[in-house]
Amino acid sequence: MTSSTHEGAQGPHHASGAALVALEAIGIVKRFPGVLANDDVNFDIRVGEVHTLLGENGAGKSTLASMLCGLYQPDAGRILRNGVPIQLSSPRAGLQHGIAMVHQHFRLVDRFSVAENVVLGSRDLSFKLNRAELNDAVAAVADTYGLPVDPTATVGDLSVGQRQRVEIVKALYQGAEILLLDEPTAVLVPAEVEKLFENVHAMTKTGKSVVFISHKLGEVARISDRVTVLRNGRVTGHVSSKGQADAKELARLMVGRDIDLAAQRASHPIGHEVLQIRDVSLVASGVNVLSNISFNVHEGEMVGIAGVAGNGQRELADVIAGLLSPTSGTISIGGAMSTDRGPIASRELGLAYVPEDRLGVGLVPSMSILDNLLLTRDRSVVVDRANVRPEANRLIDEFEIKANGPEHLARKLSGGNAQKVLLARELSGGRTATKLLVVCSPTRGLDVGAIETVRRLLDDARSAGQAILLISEDLDEIMSLADRVLVIYRGAIVHETPGATALLEQVGAAMAGLSQAGGA
Amino acid sequence: MRAPFRLQFEQRTETPRRLGVLVPLISVLAALFAGALFLLATGHSVGDTYSNMLSDGFFSSTGITDTLGLSTVLICTGIAAAFAFQMNLYNIGGEGQLYVGMIGATWFGLFFGENLPSFIMIPLVLIGGALCGAAWIAIPAWVRARLGTSEIVTTLLLTYVAASLVNHFIYRSGSYFRAPNSMFPQGRQVPDSAMLSPIGDTKMYPTFFVIVLLSLALHWVVRRTEFGYRIQVISDSPRAACYAGISARRTTVQVMLISGGLAGLGGATLIVGSFQRLDPGIVTLGYGYAGIVIAALARNNMAAVVVSGILFAGLRSGGDKLQISTDTPIHIGVMLQGAILLFALGGEAFRRYKIRIVRTPAVGSEVTA
Repeated sequence: MTSSTHEGAQGPHHASGAALVALEAIGIVKRFPGVLANDDVNFDIRVGEVHTLLGENGAGKSTLASMLCGLYQPDAGRILRNGVPIQLSSPRAGLQHGIAMVHQHFRLVDRFSVAENVVLGSRDLSFKLNRAELNDAVAAVADTYGLPVDPTATVGDLSVGQRQRVEIVKALYQGAEILLLDEPTAVLVPAEVEKLFENVHAMTKTGKSVVFISHKLGEVARISDRVTVLRNGRVTGHVSSKGQADAKELARLMVGRDIDLAAQRASHPIGHEVLQIRDVSLVASGVNVLSNISFNVHEGEMVGIAGVAGNGQRELADVIAGLLSPTSGTISIGGAMSTDRGPIASRELGLAYVPEDRLGVGLVPSMSILDNLLLTRDRSVVVDRANVRPEANRLIDEFEIKANGPEHLARKLSGGNAQKVLLARELSGGRTATKLLVVCSPTRGLDVGAIETVRRLLDDARSAGQAILLISEDLDEIMSLADRVLVIYRGAIVHETPGATALLEQVGAAMAGLSQAGGA
Repeated sequence: MRAPFRLQFEQRTETPRRLGVLVPLISVLAALFAGALFLLATGHSVGDTYSNMLSDGFFSSTGITDTLGLSTVLICTGIAAAFAFQMNLYNIGGEGQLYVGMIGATWFGLFFGENLPSFIMIPLVLIGGALCGAAWIAIPAWVRARLGTSEIVTTLLLTYVAASLVNHFIYRSGSYFRAPNSMFPQGRQVPDSAMLSPIGDTKMYPTFFVIVLLSLALHWVVRRTEFGYRIQVISDSPRAACYAGISARRTTVQVMLISGGLAGLGGATLIVGSFQRLDPGIVTLGYGYAGIVIAALARNNMAAVVVSGILFAGLRSGGDKLQISTDTPIHIGVMLQGAILLFALGGEAFRRYKIRIVRTPAVGSEVTA
């Protein structure tokens, strides 16, 4: 059952008597220099529910959450805890009211044990720590909510998912009744997301409330009891979903228009081979990072490489782009050998490469859009910027990049616009016309509108006859774009299937290393 | 009790252009103010001291020409430091490269000077000094590029070696650089063809204009050329440089050699100018170290180094003359230089942050439950 209301038509929940309102924010306004981050926002969270704050990057979700936990103070508006107005002057004041936030970037001391991290900041510790007692206390809290953590483990040795669990245990240990989770799934792999959702359910069962902050529609639709959608600092809709919210409707509220993320495949016949990889292996520090990889990519074809992060994807892309030399095997682009010839030679053969890290690898943050366009091109001894400026202006128009012009600095671009600059440069060709495009996680961290644009650009490039290698951890993206899907596991291709008929279960199993083909 | 106000630092998204000029200016004024406090505390007249210093440094005809003459070497060491800073390389050893530049320039002057005309000798001596300065930084450059060894440590330590080298060439009897028939250890004067005459009745040499042009040229190189572009990419994101096929190693070596060469050139300007011989007194003057301060004050802008170099030269030459004209200690000038650096670096905070005074909430509204 889905119902949605718009623009402040929110009923007084605390009067309905259905469930107790644990925390309520009324008419919240927050300004930052030049930005109205929250404009008359109303939000409430009931006892034992998951209420999601959904919105694109910059919509004001994190700002609102930061005010609810005491990190920022609102410029106007009231915050009520169990119906009583409260002033949250600091995160410590928030904690005293049972409100805690788990930040996207963890705030843990790597060299401390889990238990030490959990009790860090508690004011009632004795001078000499009784470690055994602390360990037991932390383990007890963790067990109550089904959060398996070893209190004696060193945080530096833990995986990202485990560290997040430590943050949650820490909040619970400090007595949090209301947990604000800021983009908690952004750093997690699919299996860890499942585990997190189980933990969230375990917490809400015991009467804790969870504010889930996200821009990922699929997850939001699954986990939320209610959803509040923010756009440009204003509430654009409330959806009560009980785990069944409609992703399309949410996307419309979030972006303000209909979004099309439907599957797209090659519409033209596939042409000649552009990229040939033969038996490529890479050994780094005694570890087989890539083993005997062979595949081709053809003109007008998009090949997707699926896999869990850290299975050799980054190295594979770097080897193809000429940034790494393979230990053995050969790579050819457009029929010419490019192995061991370096990135510039590879580009001269028609390679374009969109790396995983946009700012810092693909783009130089302190440089302008114009200078960044020059990064992978042939530059004369005296850099002729005047000559490139018209092209920069054209690309800004063509790729709908929101910028003040070619002099706009890359680091001041939003993630989506930075990605568009990168794609604009790589797709428009530099030293020679682009024949082969290698793209890594092209939509990671982007909001829905930008994801739609990036996918369209990739599809257009494919229609224009470019060969595309799409390397992504986002399985949905690969399944809906790639003409052929390859799965990489521990540096080897363990599964291959046509994109149109690929089965999610099979690909997922191969990613987890369970395929018959690559058992060894 | 809590203070009723607190300072709030807000990061600026955009630094207003005028702050680029205002902050260094106010830094200098603040340093002069701090210096005034010291003068008062030590019982000197602030007004007299500063007016003497300013007139001896800048506002008298001999004062300004003396200043410009001294600024030549300081601008050289300033651009040496600033050029390396462009790529986040810290060449702290400009001092040592300057000594070696002097040794090299003197050698070229002594060796070729008798036979060659002045219009060949002057460029030869200057280039020879620059080459020797570059050679002195070659090892730090190479180990930095290959092994990542901190250039701060290597360049600094080599300065002590260079100072010993200067002394060795002067105090060793029979040294090529030592004046043959003098009782006291002193350097041999280079031939006339390797010496410039000062401009008119001043202590200024034509090298000043050469060095100013060189600073502007290097400014252009950094801003407009492919080499400058490479430097900017590497300094900002080494991984982006690798992605684009730009060799950080090669550029590191190139930039450091140029930086060392510029410091060496500074040493050579002294030889063709006022020194005329290898003089062990150089090791007490600290021209190379001053270059670091000058570069920092100019915020590593190659063209602005000219301005900060002249400013420093003025304070220094004005400060030196104080001791002669009044009983004010010479170190007031040195102290002011230090104060200027301190305030200029502190002033950076104003460029990066907007600082506001915020009233802290009244105690009653604090949550204490």
